[in-house]
Amino acid sequence: MIEPIFQADTYQLARKLLDATALRQEAIASNVANAETPGYRRLDVAPSFAQQLRSEMASGTLGSEPVKPTLMEDPTARTTRPDGNNVEIESELLAMNKNSVEYDYLTQVVSGNLKQLKMAISGNIGG
Amino acid sequence: MNLISGIDVTAGALNAQKVRLDIVAQNIANAETTRTPEGGPYQRQVVSFETELVKQLPGEAGQTALQTVKVGGISSDTTPGQQVYNPQHPDAGPDGMVTMPNVNLAFEMVDLITASRAYEANLSVVKNARQMAEKALEIGK
Repeated sequence: MIEPIFQADTYQLARKLLDATALRQEAIASNVANAETPGYRRLDVAPSFAQQLRSEMASGTLGSEPVKPTLMEDPTARTTRPDGNNVEIESELLAMNKNSVEYDYLTQVVSGNLKQLKMAISGNIGG
Repeated sequence: MNLISGIDVTAGALNAQKVRLDIVAQNIANAETTRTPEGGPYQRQVVSFETELVKQLPGEAGQTALQTVKVGGISSDTTPGQQVYNPQHPDAGPDGMVTMPNVNLAFEMVDLITASRAYEANLSVVKNARQMAEKALEIGK
């Protein structure tokens, strides 16, 4: 009965997404650091990660293969600056805040899953 | 992977912005300096930034790596300084004109504010990363 908890879709997804969110934080750190470097192109988590997760969800094989988020240059970002840099500091800070809320949420999902397991083991609803 | 994600990237940026602030301070301090060891008036110094790859792990070859920032170089602004008529000045030429440094205080103030705002933005990234790390430590509590 322990396995189904650690193989539940929500738990598996939350774990993978925590990795992706931590990586996105690094990408944002890199973008803010290079906000004034000429020619720098902003980084983000590669969209192939989300596609891979989605297809695994659809086929019900979530967690069977190691899916690892990777970084890539954001192909959608445009530049309006003469130095070729396409970082907009405002949207980076917004993305950072959004990312951090997402991370909080995901840690709660994981915690919730673990709490359920603890409750099942101890039978103690109070924790 | 670090516990606090992206901390080394941000550390590089904080260093680079601090160098920039130092250079602004140097420019403002020397706004009236008409004599330098190299001869002639002080020339305004400009900082340029460049990206630097953060160390890549062997298993991650071929992936886009994180880039931190470092000071690429400090160069002199060679635009000629303003000529001021001041025959009493010890560095005045035979025609009574003194070449002042090419420091423009308005530019320096703008640079100062930009650098300190960039510094603050990077600090808020570290703060955020720290909060995330704290949340990660709370998993299961």
